Amino acid sequence: MSQLTETTRSQPLESVTGVQLAQGIGHRPTKGFWGEAWDYVIKRPGAIFGLSWISVIAFFAVFAPFIASGYPLMVRELDADGSVTSVSYPLFAQLTATDVLLLLGTFAVFPWLLWPFKMGRSDRLIAAVFLAIQSGFAVIIASIVRDVFTGRDVSNWMRSAEQSAWFPVLVAVIVCGLAALMVSWLLPFRAWMSRVLAAGVVALVTGVVIVGTWTEPLGQFDYRQREAANEIKATYTLIPFSPQEGTTDRDLQQPFNSIADAVGEGEAARIAGSSNLFLLGTDSLGQDVFSQMLHACRLSISIGLVSTAISVVIGVTVGALMGYFGGWVDLLLYRVVEIFMAVPVLFLLIVAAAVLPRNTYVMMAIIGCVSWTGSARFVRAEFFKLRGQDFVQSARAVGLPLRSILFKHMLPNGVTPVLVDASFAIAAAILAEAVLSFLGLGPANQASWGRLLSEATGQVGDFMWWLAVFPGLAIFLTVLSYNLIGEAFRDAIDPKLKKARV
Amino acid sequence: MGTYILRRLLLMIPTVIGMTLLVFVLIAASPGGIGAALNVSGGGQMESGTSKAQQQAYLEDRYGLDAPIVVQYLRWLGRVSPVKFGQRDLIAPTGEVIRSPRSISPPMHWDVFVDTLPADVAAEAPAFAFDAAATLDEKSRVYRLESQAYTRVRSEYVLSRAGYEQAAGEALRAVGLERFVNRDGTMKSGTPGSAIKAVLADAEQGPGVEQAFDESIERYAEAIAGRASLKEVFDARPFPAAGVPVIPNTLSLATPDLGMSFARGRPVTTLIAEALPKTLLLNFLAIPIIYFIAVPSGMLAATRRGGLFDVLSGGLYVALWSIPIVWACVLMLGFLANKETGLGWFPVTGLHSIDGQEMTWLPSTGPDGSFIRGYVLDTLWHMCLPVAALVYAGFAILSKQTRAAMLDNFNADYVRTAKAKGVRSRDIVLRHVFRNSLLPIITMFVSIFPAMLGGSVVVERVFSVPGMGNLVIDAIFLRDREVLLANALIIGLVNMFALLIADLLYALADPRVSYE
Repeated sequence: MSQLTETTRSQPLESVTGVQLAQGIGHRPTKGFWGEAWDYVIKRPGAIFGLSWISVIAFFAVFAPFIASGYPLMVRELDADGSVTSVSYPLFAQLTATDVLLLLGTFAVFPWLLWPFKMGRSDRLIAAVFLAIQSGFAVIIASIVRDVFTGRDVSNWMRSAEQSAWFPVLVAVIVCGLAALMVSWLLPFRAWMSRVLAAGVVALVTGVVIVGTWTEPLGQFDYRQREAANEIKATYTLIPFSPQEGTTDRDLQQPFNSIADAVGEGEAARIAGSSNLFLLGTDSLGQDVFSQMLHACRLSISIGLVSTAISVVIGVTVGALMGYFGGWVDLLLYRVVEIFMAVPVLFLLIVAAAVLPRNTYVMMAIIGCVSWTGSARFVRAEFFKLRGQDFVQSARAVGLPLRSILFKHMLPNGVTPVLVDASFAIAAAILAEAVLSFLGLGPANQASWGRLLSEATGQVGDFMWWLAVFPGLAIFLTVLSYNLIGEAFRDAIDPKLKKARV
Repeated sequence: MGTYILRRLLLMIPTVIGMTLLVFVLIAASPGGIGAALNVSGGGQMESGTSKAQQQAYLEDRYGLDAPIVVQYLRWLGRVSPVKFGQRDLIAPTGEVIRSPRSISPPMHWDVFVDTLPADVAAEAPAFAFDAAATLDEKSRVYRLESQAYTRVRSEYVLSRAGYEQAAGEALRAVGLERFVNRDGTMKSGTPGSAIKAVLADAEQGPGVEQAFDESIERYAEAIAGRASLKEVFDARPFPAAGVPVIPNTLSLATPDLGMSFARGRPVTTLIAEALPKTLLLNFLAIPIIYFIAVPSGMLAATRRGGLFDVLSGGLYVALWSIPIVWACVLMLGFLANKETGLGWFPVTGLHSIDGQEMTWLPSTGPDGSFIRGYVLDTLWHMCLPVAALVYAGFAILSKQTRAAMLDNFNADYVRTAKAKGVRSRDIVLRHVFRNSLLPIITMFVSIFPAMLGGSVVVERVFSVPGMGNLVIDAIFLRDREVLLANALIIGLVNMFALLIADLLYALADPRVSYE
């Protein structure tokens, strides 16, 4: 069969007769709706720029802990006469569960997607996304449990439970079991054996990582002093500063100043590596701006994707119910949509962010829960159109369950505008995060471009240009990238433009 | 059409209720509640020697925060509702709405200690009545004195009640009934009477609690008496009644009362009346600028579709649209306004210079021949940067909308007909196509305006413009519930009316759209 297509494709178009066309010979095999759209998008210079910038951000989101860290890669303890007594690896010892899982996932996902085997590429992509969601769930739930158990005023049994050795294991087992249950039925594998296997392997890896990284060591950056005192010999990463590492005697250094510029010559002699540059300067706490910007990539990528995913899930569900049932269900649910439309998104965001805990996950949830009305209205309009069509009627006549009719039969035909709009929604979510962080309502203890930007105008008359220009530029380029990709996709699927092009 | 409008207006009512309830619940869910935030922000000036729980109790009583959330919300709804039931409220010359004095609840578990409560009636003196010749000033003075006295005895009672609850809590803990004690050391509200009896039976703890209760019941009697006499003065109607009666003593219409700001102690209406004009001024300057630039450029892009201008303007607008507003504001502030790090061409904060009030209205020359800007120019100069920050992002949407609407019409049959007739292409664009694409452009105004009302939050914050956005942010940090709710209400109503007007305009201008 493949031979046949080969020969017919090489024929010039004129030589294909109408009869052959009717037999299915001679016309180009189509790549499917999304495949064609992708082919169009990838030719647009704007979209190419956007995709490459986001790849850069994604790279730093994964590898930032290994590029910019105040923890040495390797520490050799020296005794009095200068011989090495022991070797330790502080950088790897202080990695969090997210760091490790992201790294493992990145190294696992490329062979998984590129290795040639029987399963279709798109199926593999979907499976990878679902497994990523599964481990993400597990990490988030585990960190919430830890937050609850290590809170300020918890009862004694909670504190003692948290400190016992079996607690992380218990939490990891429960959490990963739950996450595996939640996701295993979504996986697009045919056989359930491989489903359970895939979900189980990811759950196991996640569980092991959660147990291994349960205790978060306190940040201690005394390596430079100890190295200057000839107690250790340390090897650093490319940028030898962590985002949280700062002392007030290094505050507000201009770009390309070094530690020696900050603390003065006399003091600098006591600090090893005092010629290390602050490439983009430091903020008011003496923390390196470049390191913070690299670490903030993760927040920027994840806040856009996660909050948009939340808003799409809520919006699609509500919109599908409204569009399918119509009538009083529509009337009632549309009031809810109207409630969220009537108050400006920014107003709701600010109120919610001010009264709820300052936490990355809460922030994602807030942005997602506030901005779902757009996708709900898109899906509602599409479902109104689809409701009367034959395939829906027959699905209902066969007696398929509602879930199957809504999400398996109708949704794939009506989800296009939502997915195209999602790119703009990601951009809007990143902007929202920037505004919230700027107003001082962002997640606490978290490097963020918006927070850096908010420090640019400190006291009256002060203006730290490096704190304004670089983080702002990063936000701008990221938002621009998502907007350009969104535009390209919208043009690609716009039937009006297509008609005009021909 | 009439039924459609009526239906939409009626549907607005549940939406407004849901919207304000959402904001209300969010604020009520804030950690520690509103009372705690007020305590931190110094909402109540307390003499020293009162405990934290007492201060909280005082604040909660003062702002009615001790009731369940639903009750609090219904109270608020009753105040803002233009339809009032029962006796009409009074309205003081200052614009403050005077209500019948609130009732007081007796101390918890009074029935364990005493058999009857002090009676809630005034002494047998004849009912209070104003002198027929008394002026409004005199009546107002009488009422104020009475109301101040009542506020004092009431707050004393609330403090002593909180003291009693705390003493009871401590005693409960001492006799081993810790499950009835709150985290702050007071007695829980659902404590059964038997627990109190157990405390009283305890020889060590009993007398202390009894003493605390005796004091609070004494204060309760004073407060009840104070309330009764204030009620008499109130019933004598010292001020004119608010609103218009529909059915006497049952139903009346009155202007909504948005309440008093918790943190600033001023009516919310005045705060908004001060802030709103500034926001409106910014927006009404910004919107025409957006239109004057975006509509022509959208037209030009549509006529030269695919040309250099189309591609360039499209790209430029997407880029402008992607600039975070916080970044734009900070850059402008640092590089254009700041004198040390930038050019210093524009003022840094506010809408007027410090001496703005003393300036003449229009530009003039001073006695020594120097140029005086005048109030109008000074304000415009201050508004340059804020308006620029509001404007730049709006180009993209409007220009795209114009371009799309024009392109739609370019494909229409009547354009081909006009071309066939030999109409000049300039006339086709301006007279035929543009006129027909005007509709979405006009109705867009209605949706731009509410969006900008919300979007000016950042601009006002950065440039210290005392408008609605700044009011909202301040209110959030102070947990000033009344201001937030009033803002949500006003913005929401404006938004919904804007949507309604947009829909109606469509129907008016396009005969194909009908809502019958």
